[in-house]
Amino acid sequence: MKRFFPKCALIAMTFGIMWGLAWSQDQAMTLTYDAYMTPDGLNQALKSLNSRFSNTTKLHRLAVTPGKRELVLLEIGPEVGRQDKSLPAILVVGNMDGDVPLSSMATLYLADFLLQTEGQATDKTWYILPCGNPDALQRYFSRPLYRDTRNGKPRNDDMDDRVDEDGYNDLDGNGMITQMRVKDPEGTMIAHGGDPRIMRKADPLKDEKGIYKIYSEGLDDDGDGKYNEDGPGGISAGINFPHLFEPFKPSTGLWPGCTDESFQLMKFAFEHPEIAMTVSFGATNFCMVPPKGGRRSGVDMDKIKVPENMATMINADPEQTYSMKEIMDMVQPMLPPGMEVTESMIASFLGLGAVVNPLQEDLEIYNDLAEKYKEYLKDKGMKDDRLDPSSARDGSFELWSYYQLGVHTFSMDFWTLPEIKDEKKEKSGITIEKLETMTSDEFVALGEEKISAFLKEVGAPDQYKAASVIQMVQSGTVAPKQMAQMMKQMPKPKDDSGGDPKTKALLAFNDQILDGKGFIDWTPFHHPTLGDVEIGGEVAYANNTPPAEVMDSLFSIQVPWGTEISKKLPKITILKTNATSQGAGIYEVEVWIENPSYLPFPTAMGKRNQQPAPAILTIDNDDITILSGKKRTPIQDLAGFETKKFTWMIQSDRNTTLEIQLTSVNAWGDQKQIKIGG
Amino acid sequence: MRRLKLFSFILMAGCLTVCNTFSWSQDISVPLRFDRYYNYDELVQAMKVLNKAFPDLTSLDLVGHSEEDREIWAMTINNPKTGDPLTKPGVYVDGNIHGNEIQAGEVALYFMNEMLTKYGKNEKITRLLDKNAYYIIPSVNVDGRYHFFEDPNTPSTNRGLRRPKDDDRDGLFDEDYPDDLDGDGNICQMRIRDPFGTQKTDPEDPRLMIPVKPGETGEWTILGSEGIDNDGDGRINEDSEGYVDGNRNWGFNWAPPYVQSGSGYYPFSGDGIRAIRDYIMERPNIIMVFAFHNTGGMYLRGPSVKSQGEFQRGDIAVYDYLGENAEKIVPGYRYLIGWKDLYATYGDFGDFMDHIVGAYTFVGELFMSSQETYREEDAGAGDPDGGGFFGESNTRSRERLKFNDHVAMGELYVPWKPYKHPVYGDIEIGGWVKMSSRLPHPFMLQDLVHRNAAVVMFSAEQTPEVKMEVFEKTRIGKDLFRVRVRLSNDKAMPTITYHSVREKVYPMDMLTVSGSSATVVSGGKITNRYTDQVSYKEDKPEVQFCQVPGFGMIEYQFLVSGKGQIKIHFESRKAGKVEQTIDL
Repeated sequence: MKRFFPKCALIAMTFGIMWGLAWSQDQAMTLTYDAYMTPDGLNQALKSLNSRFSNTTKLHRLAVTPGKRELVLLEIGPEVGRQDKSLPAILVVGNMDGDVPLSSMATLYLADFLLQTEGQATDKTWYILPCGNPDALQRYFSRPLYRDTRNGKPRNDDMDDRVDEDGYNDLDGNGMITQMRVKDPEGTMIAHGGDPRIMRKADPLKDEKGIYKIYSEGLDDDGDGKYNEDGPGGISAGINFPHLFEPFKPSTGLWPGCTDESFQLMKFAFEHPEIAMTVSFGATNFCMVPPKGGRRSGVDMDKIKVPENMATMINADPEQTYSMKEIMDMVQPMLPPGMEVTESMIASFLGLGAVVNPLQEDLEIYNDLAEKYKEYLKDKGMKDDRLDPSSARDGSFELWSYYQLGVHTFSMDFWTLPEIKDEKKEKSGITIEKLETMTSDEFVALGEEKISAFLKEVGAPDQYKAASVIQMVQSGTVAPKQMAQMMKQMPKPKDDSGGDPKTKALLAFNDQILDGKGFIDWTPFHHPTLGDVEIGGEVAYANNTPPAEVMDSLFSIQVPWGTEISKKLPKITILKTNATSQGAGIYEVEVWIENPSYLPFPTAMGKRNQQPAPAILTIDNDDITILSGKKRTPIQDLAGFETKKFTWMIQSDRNTTLEIQLTSVNAWGDQKQIKIGG
Repeated sequence: MRRLKLFSFILMAGCLTVCNTFSWSQDISVPLRFDRYYNYDELVQAMKVLNKAFPDLTSLDLVGHSEEDREIWAMTINNPKTGDPLTKPGVYVDGNIHGNEIQAGEVALYFMNEMLTKYGKNEKITRLLDKNAYYIIPSVNVDGRYHFFEDPNTPSTNRGLRRPKDDDRDGLFDEDYPDDLDGDGNICQMRIRDPFGTQKTDPEDPRLMIPVKPGETGEWTILGSEGIDNDGDGRINEDSEGYVDGNRNWGFNWAPPYVQSGSGYYPFSGDGIRAIRDYIMERPNIIMVFAFHNTGGMYLRGPSVKSQGEFQRGDIAVYDYLGENAEKIVPGYRYLIGWKDLYATYGDFGDFMDHIVGAYTFVGELFMSSQETYREEDAGAGDPDGGGFFGESNTRSRERLKFNDHVAMGELYVPWKPYKHPVYGDIEIGGWVKMSSRLPHPFMLQDLVHRNAAVVMFSAEQTPEVKMEVFEKTRIGKDLFRVRVRLSNDKAMPTITYHSVREKVYPMDMLTVSGSSATVVSGGKITNRYTDQVSYKEDKPEVQFCQVPGFGMIEYQFLVSGKGQIKIHFESRKAGKVEQTIDL
């Protein structure tokens, strides 16, 4: 009982779940989730799932990292035997940044959950990759411990004469890399008043002068005056994707897909057009917080300005703005016959550039689903009192998936530090100066609440409660003026403003739950070149990787939301058909196509980038002649719960059956037969 | 007797058809001929023949394979007696990344042929060959080259890579190519008699059509390129190979297909493109790059999109020097800036080479159809338009047709002939043949290949050449010496581009001083020799990072304590190395 209780308390305290609810597990999973797994361990776990469920799973070896680790993807579904799929698929990528061990475990949990739960993977395929950046993940299990999203590719980061020659050094031998603070005349950092463990920038506007320089723990191994500027590795595979990719930044790599973790994943995605949705498990959470907009972009598609040198070519006025359609209409007659103008052609001719902010219709869906998700979490007893998830970074997988793959893109994080509740401090309105002029009656009239707030503001020691102070004044033991003078002598209260809220949250978590294991107190050390320093700081991963005991409950509540969303995938189906005789063997054939699901086919972005494959409606019969309408009609888009009608006029001499085929690689499709005549 | 007649007839017919394509399979031997074009197999054969004839100066490298599994070959030209290729500046020439832009292959072959056949005989060429390492890939899009020659085409078709893409979004991939209905080996135009048509016969040349004026009765409607509706969707020839453009598939500033048609699904999705990239990345000494295309008569430099901002001034100076001379070597060709004077391109080869490899890249758009004239000398420029983005004016077309008739013996244009089309009925087919409009008739090819090869040679002359001079060594104390070194370069290109320095693309060139009994106490770049202004490097003064400018020099000062010999060593990724040993 004694051992049992603290564990529950940990869970409960960490995120306020009613622990009874959290403790009830609906099903037994194949694997256990009581420890974080190494990249090797994850691959072994996938292998064991594959051998246990050999009929419905298949292993794919996607890539090998520079550090010689394998990216293994598990396929789950009824079509593992075939290359060309007829059912849509969902691609789940875990831990693409490599520094979120929790997300790799969550991805594994999802695979396990799908295999254990009835009906989850019978009408679609799941492609599940627990770790997109195994070289980086391995660091969680290495010592000294430090957090780094780069893979194992050697890179001359400081552009000197050697490669990977100056990494971190564990000077104090405690098995982890933290920071060093050194007193330096050019230092800009000071210890934070509220909690001197926190280092922050000195604010000259508050008369603060900097004292310290902060370095990462280590030596200047190559004697170039810089510390730890060229450690082992590498390329951050998680930001090596083409959307908003930035070359020439420290670890993005020279071009998108220059490392196999990202290249093979993109190749896989495009070789599998049945993928209708991606979900990434990591540090962002599109299920809760939609992707951010507000980027400065190229262009408003309704107000395009044609550059001068091109305006004359197409008879446009360089001073005026045009809509995309207007420009298309201007250009069409100038093209050689048979050549059709497209939006893409104009966009590239005018150099309009890419979409960089989420489209409005997609945002509406993200926002609506976020509301639904919050309800879902509340129902499961999970409170929303943790720090916000991260925003998607430029060059990340999830942004690439939304903007370039053009499919429904979701992401989830599973744990951040509990938020520190800032008790709203009502300003008392009293100052020491005012107090000096008050009478005892005026003071007592202020009331206990205001006096209590005032006492806190001036930093009165805790034992001076408002009630007792009021009594002292009422009884005449002390007059307000005397109190004011005493207070002037007291040391000023510690100013708690400033300082990184994330660090404060970590320290609170460290003090209350981690028992000091999340933060190393600043400890003196004699450094060979910097002299007297202090080593200390946040322990790597403490702010995103909770103790393993809470994994199970975190996952059992949050992971199934992914499957909830998967049920909303768009379907393209034949709602109704009709054939009406017009006489003389001529029939009007009507087919209604509908999408009976919540999510549209495709996303607004998918419509814009024309990437997802259209569905094809064919009317097939060798004996008939089509008088109006086409044999093959592509269906480019269908909104959620939308119906579209298609009509043909056909001629048939005899009674026959029309095959109506609705083929779709990514939205199921359908087929029906229509009897003609008879 | 009959059999012999039949046999000769077949032989002759075979020759005629083959002759029509300006490339007949005679023996390919050194020196190569340039009054003809080389199809894919002949191009490879030509390279092999050159390699066999000059085994000491060349090596043939198999770069990789294309989508249809054809071999992509590169030739390295290097004189091993003057050093290994990687110890010299690299000059890279390629062409034909667009399958129809074939004469780039001939330019590359000509360049190799000149360099090799004149080595040891022509002083300038000998010096050029000894100075640099040359990497030449005459045909990048080997599938395109093969199909351009082999299949019926217009001058502009067969441009892309053989990567399936559903261009018309109908669920089928590459299902509607143009069709050579009349079997003449060309994809021409189709037209149909139509009183409601917008065109009528040109009164000056019945082969041309002019737009109808309002109220006039029409005569013709242009139906488009020769073909049928292969997939029954009501459109003709709307989904041929790709469309993936090899010159939009590179990884610098790449944009997806909806932003720029033809970029491929993701950067370097092209198999051949990827192989060439890897080949280039293994040759980081490449500093000068020529990529040949057609058409228009230009030497283009980046930036490729306006938003990138202009190049570094120091680099623009190099481009200006080379470009302005190119305009004189090939009169009529213009030195231009990509985004500004042409159009924005994302993910193109030149941008990749400039930004990621740190080179100077020119795209050479070969051939100007405005040179197909029919007028007296000094008759004036006439209509300057030689085939702009949206086609040429009728004045020019009439003139070109006269050129076709009287100078090219009718080989460039097929007159309108009737044909019965399965859908349209009675139509006519005619127009410019594929071996026209974007490339020269073979009699003009020799001029084109020589002049453009000369531009490559001019630039190859300007790769950096560093000389080291230790111009001072003074004892300033007991065992303490002041040593001053000058690195000079009398060529236009610096030893590392200004862009590479600014963006830290790769480590800068290094000047190091070492000695077994000596230590470098301090060191730095001399900013003013006369007033002893030196900007000292704080740490590790014995390793200085530098750039030797084009047409210029830099000077360094070292304070060295010790005795004996010191070695002063300069090493550059693109400009080789030079060193001296002096006694203290």
